[in-house]
Amino acid sequence: MTTSGSLLKFSGHLHFRHRIVLSILSGKPVRIDRIRSEDKDPGLRDFEASLLRLLEKVTNGTVIEISYTGTSVLVKPGVVVGGSITHDCPLSRSVGYFLEPLIMIAPFAKKPLNLTLRGITTDDRDLSVDLIRTVTLPHIQLFGIDEGLELRIKKRGAPPLGGGEVQFLCSIVKQVKTLDFVEPGKIKRIRGISHAVRVSPQFSNRMIEAARSVLNRFIPDIYLYSDVYKGEESGKSPGYALSLLAESTTGALHCSEAVSKPGVPPEDIARQATYALLEEIKRGGCVDRSHQILVLLMMVLGSEDIGRCRMGEPSPRTIQFLRDAREFFGVSFKIAKAESTNPDSTDLIFSCLGIGYVNANRTLA
Amino acid sequence: MEGEPHKAHRPAHSGAKAEKKKVKGKGKEKQTGFNEKAFAPKSGRRAEKQGRRNVEREQTRLHVPLVNRTPDDQPPPVIVVIVGPPGVGKSTLIKSLVRRYTKQTLSEIKGPVTVVSGKKRRLTFVECNNDLNSMIDIGKVADLVLLMIDGSFGFEMEQFEFLNILQAHGFPKVIGVLTHLDLIRKQATLKNTKKMLKKRFWTEIYQGAKLFYLSGVLNGRYPDREIQNLSRFISVMKFRPLVFRNSHPYVLVDRLEDLTPREDVRASDGKCDRKMTVYGYLRGTNLRDRMKVHIPGVGDFSVATVSVLKDPCPLPDVESEKRRKLSEKKKLLVHAPMSDVGGVTYDKDAVYINVPGNFTRDNPDVTQGEGEKMVIDLQDAHETLDTAVARSQIRLLGSSSKILAIGTDSAGEDMSVDDLSGDESESEVSDESSFTEEDMTDAESDVYGGDEEFEEGCSGSKTTGDRGRTAVRNRQRSMRGLLTASKPAAEIDFADSDSELGLDEAGDGERGKFNHFSRSRNEDPNHGLGDVENSDETPLDVESDVPGWKVDLQVRAAEIFNRHATRKNRIDWMKMIYSSDRLPEYIASGSSVKTDEMEGKDPDEEFFRLKPAATVEEDKDWDMSKEVYTDNVLTKWENEELLDPLRSLFITGQQASGDVDEAGSPYEGDGGEFEDLEEDGGEGFHDSDAPGTRPEDPEEAHRAALSAKKEALKRKFDEQYDDPETQKLDFYDERKDEMARQSELNRAELEGIDAESRILIEGCRPGSYVRIELDSIPCEMVEHFDPTYPIIVGGLLPAEERFGYVQVRIKRHRWFAKTLKTNDPLILSIGWRRFQTVPIYSLDDHSIRMRMLKYTPEHMHCYATFYGPVALPNTGFCAFNSLSGDAAGFRVSATGVVLDIDRSTKIVKKLKLTGVPIKVFKNTVFIKDMFNSALEVAKFEGADIKTVSGIRGQIKKALAKPEGAFRATFEDKILMSDIVFLRAWYAVQPRKLYNPVTSLLLSDKGKWTGMRLTGQVRREEGIRTPIDRNSTYKPIEREGRRFNPLKIPKKLQAALPYASKPKLMKAQHRQTYMQKRAVVLEPEEKRAIALLQQARVLRKDQIARRREKKEGKRTEQRKKAAKEEEEREAKDKEKRKQYMRVAGMKRQREGEREEGRTSKRSK
Repeated sequence: MTTSGSLLKFSGHLHFRHRIVLSILSGKPVRIDRIRSEDKDPGLRDFEASLLRLLEKVTNGTVIEISYTGTSVLVKPGVVVGGSITHDCPLSRSVGYFLEPLIMIAPFAKKPLNLTLRGITTDDRDLSVDLIRTVTLPHIQLFGIDEGLELRIKKRGAPPLGGGEVQFLCSIVKQVKTLDFVEPGKIKRIRGISHAVRVSPQFSNRMIEAARSVLNRFIPDIYLYSDVYKGEESGKSPGYALSLLAESTTGALHCSEAVSKPGVPPEDIARQATYALLEEIKRGGCVDRSHQILVLLMMVLGSEDIGRCRMGEPSPRTIQFLRDAREFFGVSFKIAKAESTNPDSTDLIFSCLGIGYVNANRTLA
Repeated sequence: MEGEPHKAHRPAHSGAKAEKKKVKGKGKEKQTGFNEKAFAPKSGRRAEKQGRRNVEREQTRLHVPLVNRTPDDQPPPVIVVIVGPPGVGKSTLIKSLVRRYTKQTLSEIKGPVTVVSGKKRRLTFVECNNDLNSMIDIGKVADLVLLMIDGSFGFEMEQFEFLNILQAHGFPKVIGVLTHLDLIRKQATLKNTKKMLKKRFWTEIYQGAKLFYLSGVLNGRYPDREIQNLSRFISVMKFRPLVFRNSHPYVLVDRLEDLTPREDVRASDGKCDRKMTVYGYLRGTNLRDRMKVHIPGVGDFSVATVSVLKDPCPLPDVESEKRRKLSEKKKLLVHAPMSDVGGVTYDKDAVYINVPGNFTRDNPDVTQGEGEKMVIDLQDAHETLDTAVARSQIRLLGSSSKILAIGTDSAGEDMSVDDLSGDESESEVSDESSFTEEDMTDAESDVYGGDEEFEEGCSGSKTTGDRGRTAVRNRQRSMRGLLTASKPAAEIDFADSDSELGLDEAGDGERGKFNHFSRSRNEDPNHGLGDVENSDETPLDVESDVPGWKVDLQVRAAEIFNRHATRKNRIDWMKMIYSSDRLPEYIASGSSVKTDEMEGKDPDEEFFRLKPAATVEEDKDWDMSKEVYTDNVLTKWENEELLDPLRSLFITGQQASGDVDEAGSPYEGDGGEFEDLEEDGGEGFHDSDAPGTRPEDPEEAHRAALSAKKEALKRKFDEQYDDPETQKLDFYDERKDEMARQSELNRAELEGIDAESRILIEGCRPGSYVRIELDSIPCEMVEHFDPTYPIIVGGLLPAEERFGYVQVRIKRHRWFAKTLKTNDPLILSIGWRRFQTVPIYSLDDHSIRMRMLKYTPEHMHCYATFYGPVALPNTGFCAFNSLSGDAAGFRVSATGVVLDIDRSTKIVKKLKLTGVPIKVFKNTVFIKDMFNSALEVAKFEGADIKTVSGIRGQIKKALAKPEGAFRATFEDKILMSDIVFLRAWYAVQPRKLYNPVTSLLLSDKGKWTGMRLTGQVRREEGIRTPIDRNSTYKPIEREGRRFNPLKIPKKLQAALPYASKPKLMKAQHRQTYMQKRAVVLEPEEKRAIALLQQARVLRKDQIARRREKKEGKRTEQRKKAAKEEEEREAKDKEKRKQYMRVAGMKRQREGEREEGRTSKRSK
């Protein structure tokens, strides 16, 4: 009836995930045109189609129309249902690609979500399951979504063949809390997980050694866990990776990761991860750069109060997200320098008035 | 009589009485005041009990703390609704109240009337007519209800209905007002009536609810004293925020204008969709950009534009109080555009201006009303708008000699409409009629050449044809698009940098100089350089520009400029993200760089734009969340020197927290002089009014540091030694503190920013007077507009725009006469909406299934599921079968609450399939007549079946031969005569009917009819109900069942043990011994028997006589009772007669009053 009037149109394949997420949360139908229309392989990729299929499983009444060429998609979102769902992810992307949008949606479902994803657990494009477990989940905990929130890594799967399995559990909330997080604090501890599957466990220890050689000068409180999966749990392909996270006194998290590449010694991989962590720390803010969108989305959905968060400079994805959030929810952020007296600081304070999003899918009684 | 004050008591100061009192008083002196002994507990146990009770009582007072979204400083007017049946005195009460507040007498009240009632409070009075639709709408927005009750008549059905509507949508405050008490002559009756009505009112609202008594009418108003009392009550009333209103923005429309071009209306014969603006105070929460609204009685609309207007009825502040003259005291503010206040009456399509007596222009001693002023202003305009615009000249810079030419776009249409619609108070001040303002600014920009004027002129010229001030941002964009279409690209850049300047300049101390710099930079259209070059180059530009005496300041200037440039980011980020079309990649990569290098995304330009380089595309192809670091970003960390500065970010770093506290800059130690200068500059920039507030004195700084240290130590000590339990607040206080903190943060965060970006960030705030423009409004709304029917614009949350199946918990109202039936249409009022839909009632069947109910249960809640617009769970609603005024009885048919929203339903009803055996083996049976095909059987394989006698079985497999027959097994052998049935559950879907109640579109607003029931249609059309022959009842013929005797073979019988042997004996054929013998009695035996016989007869006779006697008595009694009954009946009849007489008299009076009113009006 009124749906035709509120149809939002976008073009291009970029920012596909957060647009779909915004559409599902706001309930506004969205049409995305010109998806790789200029490409020699036009249309949706298999992982995008798979994501749409997954979202169809999670929701009830969602209508997804994909054009014949696959270059345009129309999504009329339904009600987020949740429940127990299993999904096999394609090998072109890791499960992180699918988990990220679902983490944004899951708290607003009808029933607590129990999602099992199978596929690659760590690759160099998306957040690995380790980072999602140790960094992404604490980020949503800031908004009062904490009980029943869990990610279990049952099996690890390295690219190219994958074979990993994770279980994501998320409870539902009525409304997310407002965030006021402007004090970045100082880094008080560094943690890390170095894992190796189907290779010598020594690789993992070598990575830890290399990372410590750089980080030890800053802080003594460093624990890097060596996490070696064996046998059935180690997936189908060999691989190893190091993920690091630094936690500040106020609970701000920064993370980095590096994944094994053929022909690169584990020490170099570890150094890459370490330097990336330093880069991330230097960028400052209270929120990790790869989690800006998640935090901003939750701020938009928060109660009708001012939410504030200090962040480093927004990434291009964040900028597009801010624009899209305005399209979907009519929310604009106030973006101000965090320290107006300090010329070196690039930190910004993002503040917005939440829309007071209430989980309408929740059942009473 | 009431008006006269009683004479005060004057105690004697001298004389005998005074003496006596003095003596008495001396003894009593001790006794005065609180006697603590009297209330002291007698025992420790009692003291404990008392204490506990006090604490419990304290707790009952507390409510769950709710955040109030309405701002405290400028709250919207409180909506006071006056409700009651016709003729009860609603208009009189409003008139009296308005007169109490404004000292003006309004002749006719139409629509809302807003008045200022105190320093912090304004009131909007609305009269609610007797239509149920109006009552529903007004009940959703009312803050305070004055429920008027005719004292001489009592409560009426509509009032109870209204109270039930209120209850369903969050109960606002209700004050009862009893009128027409002067019609009751007898004092005792009056007292009784008051008592009775109060009791009834209290049961409806709560024990002790306030009820006012208004005696007769004087001069068309209620007595001043009583009104004053009432107004005092209104002014001290506190309001608890209601959940629904605290989460939705809404506007009670107090004025509306049709902005459709007259030509369109004429061309379409008045049938085209209208463009309309509505005005009113925003209440509830913030009204944001892109919000959808619902107008109850009309439909859903998306808001075209919202603009905040000048408050037409502002709260008094210090300024206005200073300006107020003594003579104005008489004329207090009242805002009632739909009534005839202020000399201007707004009709549907015209404006009438009242001019008292004769009228001359330029008469100084006659104060001009707003209407007159407006007309005079209009007359003063000697030329049309486009000539004025054409004449106006704008110079871009103070020093520039050329005049900027403006393409005279056709903005005239809007303007002319605006003039037609005619604004009252904003005519000169606000942007509403931008005619005069633009003229003025244009003229000014001619005369002066300063920066500010340039700014104003520029913005003025940009917003030519714009009506709202708030939506400038959007407009600017569209205007820019318009400009790009007609102008060369160089000028686009130009215009862009201008607006930037405008933003930059807010609160800029050393504006002139820096602006000059940035302008010189921005004006260069080919400036596509990187960060470093840019900052290097600009000082050079400066050098060439500025005279020689400033050269020694170059370093400083460059420094400040750089800081300025970086600080500009603050504005740039918002601007670049929200009001430029640049690709995110460019913004992110060159954030601190350029503001020019415009990446236009206009359709024209896109045509010619080269595809972005493949490198950008490639790594963006993947929508990755992980950052991709190029090698040099990471390898730079191999440099050990770079690692050291990072130490400060760790807790182990050298910088103690004290340093950061001090100045926030880690380079405090070096170069004191330079630092000072920078500090100064920064301070000055930040707050130009108070430069150099920082204490320079090192001693003072030392002292401050010392005191801070002491403070910290003290805090630490306190923390250690104070009991943490006593510090801890309870839940209530904690929540309150939290809320206060958050609201303080909300206030502080949005304080410093300019109005425009404030509206961008938070939307319009509640309390502001807004003008909402709506497109494609049905023409009937405008054509059949009636100010006595309230119009509400309610904002919708994102979830509420959608449709789906809504599950509610519902209970039929106990006063509603009929039960509700599944699939009968029902009119619901949920959220803002009123609509008709078809619900299906259901009950939870052992938590296994939702089972459909044909009718709602008698005294129980049940579930109902219907298709319609979604409302958030926990929203209350009420339901009606009919909204028309002539429906008999109580109209609220049910109330309830929303539980769940989904896109599918799980309601089932029972379906029994029956079949009969065709062949019975031992446990295997062939059954037919249950299904029609083997396919159907296949679908039900494995299903449980049962015989009527309770033997359970299972469907096995379809048979080949009779189509639809199947093989089944049972736990025991069944009979051929058994009926086998399969209990299945059949899913029922609610019908997708959503029929909004569009009562405001009707000319006769009470006559809305929705979908009718079949029976209703048949009755109205005179169609007979078709009878299905198969459905008629026929006498059931059941032939008696004959059971064959059980036969046990002799052999088996013999083999059985005794216990199991059949024990059936044959009846005896031969006569017994006794039967064969005759009995002869002895004479005395005979006599004895005869005697007994006689005694029995006597006794029987006695009983019969006694019974007869009793029966006689009873008939007597019955006769007496009948007689009494008759008498009572007669009495009742008399009573009823009396009552009807009174009612008739009242109606007659009413009629007379109506007549009187109309006749008065005609006079």
